[in-house]
Amino acid sequence: MIAAILRAQLLSMRVGGRRNAIFSLITGLVWYGFWCGVAAGVYFAARRAGAALLEQALPIGLLLMLLFWQVIPVLSASFGSALDMRKLLVYPAPHDKLFLVEVLLRLTTGFEMVLVSAGAVAGLLRNGAAGGWAAAPRILLPLLTFLVFNLLLASGLRSLLERLLSRRRVREVVVILMLLAFTLPRIALVMGARPKSLGGFGVLAHVPGLPWVAVSNAMLGQSELWSLTILAAWTLAAAGFGRTQFERNLRYDAVAAQATPLDAAPSSKPSWSDRFYRLPALLFGDPLAALIEKELRSLARTPRFRMVFVMGFSFGLMVWLPLVLGRQSERVGFLEENFLVAVSVYALTLLGQVTYWNCFGFDRSAVQIYFAAPQPIAVTLRAKNIASLIVVYLEVLVLTGLTWVLHVGVSLGKIAETLLVVGVCAFYMLAFGNISSVHYPRALTPDRVSQGGASSRFQAFVFILYPLALLPVFLAYLARYAFDSQTAFAAVLALAAALGGGLYGLAMESAVKTATTNRERILVDLSRGEGPVVSN
Amino acid sequence: MSSPAILVRDLKKSYGSKAAVNGVDLEVPRGSFFGFLGPNGAGKSTTIRILTGLIPADSGYIEILGLRLPEDEMEIKRRIGLVPDESLLFERLTGFEFLEFVGRMYGLARDVAMQRARSLLDLLELANDRKIIGEYSKGMRKRVAMAASLIHHPELFLMDEPFEGVDAVGARLMKDILVDQVRRGATVFLTSHVLEVVERLCDRIAIINNGTIVTAGTLEELRSTGESLEDAFVRVLGAERQLERLDWL
Repeated sequence: MIAAILRAQLLSMRVGGRRNAIFSLITGLVWYGFWCGVAAGVYFAARRAGAALLEQALPIGLLLMLLFWQVIPVLSASFGSALDMRKLLVYPAPHDKLFLVEVLLRLTTGFEMVLVSAGAVAGLLRNGAAGGWAAAPRILLPLLTFLVFNLLLASGLRSLLERLLSRRRVREVVVILMLLAFTLPRIALVMGARPKSLGGFGVLAHVPGLPWVAVSNAMLGQSELWSLTILAAWTLAAAGFGRTQFERNLRYDAVAAQATPLDAAPSSKPSWSDRFYRLPALLFGDPLAALIEKELRSLARTPRFRMVFVMGFSFGLMVWLPLVLGRQSERVGFLEENFLVAVSVYALTLLGQVTYWNCFGFDRSAVQIYFAAPQPIAVTLRAKNIASLIVVYLEVLVLTGLTWVLHVGVSLGKIAETLLVVGVCAFYMLAFGNISSVHYPRALTPDRVSQGGASSRFQAFVFILYPLALLPVFLAYLARYAFDSQTAFAAVLALAAALGGGLYGLAMESAVKTATTNRERILVDLSRGEGPVVSN
Repeated sequence: MSSPAILVRDLKKSYGSKAAVNGVDLEVPRGSFFGFLGPNGAGKSTTIRILTGLIPADSGYIEILGLRLPEDEMEIKRRIGLVPDESLLFERLTGFEFLEFVGRMYGLARDVAMQRARSLLDLLELANDRKIIGEYSKGMRKRVAMAASLIHHPELFLMDEPFEGVDAVGARLMKDILVDQVRRGATVFLTSHVLEVVERLCDRIAIINNGTIVTAGTLEELRSTGESLEDAFVRVLGAERQLERLDWL
């Protein structure tokens, strides 16, 4: 049965075409090449470390590994591949076997950690302080068990979050709560609870009885039997958690949870949201206004978009705010000064996966209406770009409000600078986005919260583009720093805007040409169904 | 004499070495209810997609409502209503919002589009549904797609399986609307696997097989010996019953 599922998935994937295969190969090489580099670094570190350092560093490394595996998918809302139960539940497949496949699929969100573990194991086996080759069983058994523990825990967490995040209204609250859980301790630490350092992490990494500590002890031959027993208990608990959550997911009706409540009596007056959606019509004529309005309405009702929107303003705060509140160095002073710009540009990049990188993704087969209606495709692309900008500026508005509430020190001048900088960056991002949208269109399911426009490997591709897209604006800040002059900053920014405008125009022309000549392939790509395994 | 609604000569479209449409000739008179029939994979949907400009033809001459395709593509699009095989509905809009959007895409003023959207939803018995289209049943989706094809009052309807998945009451309603449109001078070009529907509605028929038109004419011409359309269809395609080969079933 497992073989049949995997074969069906492989056969489903082969229709992606040569172009997609090459793209996938390149992004895969970049992404996993980077992690091979990290694994090599870990190898050399593990090979040379003394016993005392290993005792200190190994639990921290294992905790970081667990966090990467469990937390990064949550933070990036990118849960990797999973079984599409809508396609599999009709068959008489035992749930235990389906669960096994689901657990193995969790490797898709943590394969990077398998590479790093391999580097660590290779290093330890060549390190006399860790026991060398003779200690191979002692090193490998706990680490492999820890990998299984991570797979099981990730499976349970994924199932739990998938259910929670698919409920109307609940998902946004869950995201905010998760972010608060991550952010508040950091803010508390830098605000005075532990003013000298973020040492809480180090303490957590060495609390006896926790799985990473047990693994570390077992690998280093300390209380080996007891440590393995603790690890086995944790793994069994994770298996129970994963299996229970998987079973609950099987019985869960996501469609019912997401259903729109029926209005008892539709009001003849437009609601406040309706008024908001109609604002573009004040500035633009039809069909541009109609397309922007459609885009805004659709995005606002797309669970995946709503979650990323919430992340757009909360992630930036989570990463930067504790540093800014710390105010311990000149570097932090610079961060504080440019806080709003930094978090806004970050929000612009994050929103890309649900807006401009794959702008036809949520339309799926309905994209044919853009080709069937009597409007040039350029109008559609322009409308989608404008809708993306509106969303980005909404995000900036929320961020401005939050920074004002948090007293981070945002002036009117800084707000104006943020609006300008975001606008200039957007020229470059949208230019690249239009090109990628017509060359690599991919159908997305609007009601699947965990599916994004970009896989981790696609994000690798995006990571290559981000420095390019942000370089002109970076140069403007460099000019201000080097010449200590606002005029220099404004001049370089204006130049960057002019260049960006030119690039946007060229990219639009190229995208329209591609969309016109390749419309058939675009329609096919966006109408394509997936195999028994869905991935992002 | 006015030009035909659709005039196609030697239309060709291939996918790799497979010819999906292989030299199709078609003439659909204005004001006719035209049934375009054929077995699965015969080239019906490909032909319709070419006629709507969704995919380009490899070669051939296409004239729609007296206008050349692809030269007059935009003007042709303004004058046709389309119900394709795959849904062109935006799932996160309500039926009303979608119809208003389509109306504006076809150049209607917002208030006109809204007013027509309301009337069409009333007519197709969807007025009380405030759900987004993603939550619609298949039949409701077809009805909204039908409404969308009507909103700009087109002269020619191109419909791929418009009644598929629609209940009897909904299908009856849709048929009545189309018959009324033809009575008012519009042309309907539709594909359907339900031959009884075609038999009842269409005055002219063409049958396509392996990308080539195998027969075309009036319904009476096709049923020359008084047989049913189904019998004529099977006879023209030379299909045989092969059930006896499944001896294990």
